[in-house]
Amino acid sequence: MEIVKNAIAGTLESSDVLVKVSPSQDGTVTLHIQSEVIKQFGKQIRATVMQTLEALSVSAATIVVSDKGALDCVIRARVQAAVLRAADAQDLDWNVL
Amino acid sequence: MTDAPPGIDLNADIKLDFHTVSLTESPEVEAEIRSLLHDNGLDLDEQVETFVVCREKGRIVGCAGLDRDVVKDVAVAPSLRGTAVSLRLGSVVLKLAAARGHHDLFLYCRPDTVQWFRGWAFYPLVEVPGVITLMENNPLNLPRYVETLSRERRPGTTIGGIVMNANPFTLGHRFVAESAAKVCDWLHVFVVKEEAAEFSYSDRFRLVTEGLADIANVTVHHGSRYIISRATFPGYFLKDKAAVEHGFCGIDLLMFREHIAPALGINRRYVGNEPLDATTSSYNAAMKHWLSEAPSASAPIETIVIERLTVDGAPVSASNVRALLARGDLGGVEKLVPPTTFAFLRQYQQAGR
Repeated sequence: MEIVKNAIAGTLESSDVLVKVSPSQDGTVTLHIQSEVIKQFGKQIRATVMQTLEALSVSAATIVVSDKGALDCVIRARVQAAVLRAADAQDLDWNVL
Repeated sequence: MTDAPPGIDLNADIKLDFHTVSLTESPEVEAEIRSLLHDNGLDLDEQVETFVVCREKGRIVGCAGLDRDVVKDVAVAPSLRGTAVSLRLGSVVLKLAAARGHHDLFLYCRPDTVQWFRGWAFYPLVEVPGVITLMENNPLNLPRYVETLSRERRPGTTIGGIVMNANPFTLGHRFVAESAAKVCDWLHVFVVKEEAAEFSYSDRFRLVTEGLADIANVTVHHGSRYIISRATFPGYFLKDKAAVEHGFCGIDLLMFREHIAPALGINRRYVGNEPLDATTSSYNAAMKHWLSEAPSASAPIETIVIERLTVDGAPVSASNVRALLARGDLGGVEKLVPPTTFAFLRQYQQAGR
């Protein structure tokens, strides 16, 4: 899936996560994570975001994640929503999600 | 923000209604917003076009102003601090801005509230101590910009920098750059990118490049949101002298000192003295203070004021050129600008602007 514009999904509230997706500057995935639980769960948040991007076949994007202690399923859902908006996706294969 | 005691939902009893208002359309809301801002030690910023307001039982308990891609005037009633009202307000502001096409935002706040806005996913860029802090919500943008700039770094011990609007590029600009290039190992010239001038950015940039093409040790750089932009220096475009003196230009100048100059090794900043334009004149006066005297983790930058070039006894300025052009006095214009700018202005005039 190709990221063609900027998009956001999520909120700043507790137990949620705000995900900003924008087109890549250098053809790779650049991921920045801010989290209140970065020390305990930083690696896991990164892995969840990367897996979700992979499932959506996103290989080039800039992603800024502001996490307020969201569960993995919430992170996945917010990343998916932001990517789909940023890719201007019309025909979706919900099975891969 | 304080933490909720365990097991107690601070938001359970609060019914909040968020909506956006344009102050020009609803002047009656303005007084209410002013009063909330006042309680938070803030003044209403005249440039804010839209406010997100949060009402509880009809009363405004939170507000946040949006001026294109800049968030200002954020306040929450004291009784609701420590609740999630602020975060909900922040979420609404980010969505509203995104819907308007602004994804990478700046935010102005008092330095003592920076921690609060980290919760809004903003990161501090630069602070005028005790007065104001500029933050942005994409932590990747500035490092990326600084990295791009640093590729243009040139060797030498005396590295100059000039920031010009060049609206349009005159012999006055040329004189300042030429004087600086003569004594510097390298000179970096930035063209203000904001489209708030009579001439478009692409025209202004091209005329600067052409006008300095014969000077070997000069690089002309594109401006950015980090150099005299609506974000870093709103007063410049308002031509509001009070705003300039209020410390706003401290933000722009500290931004230059702490982020831009180090990328290129700039240790001198050159300006033409400014007898005509009050805003630019106050800016030049503030330059010395913020670039060298004010406390900062970054090395001081020497400000060097170049006596303005005069033609027929009158100082050359872009505002003079625009005035002559408006009167159709092309002969007068020709004396004040290099041939490259003159060729452009003649066409511009003939095209009926």
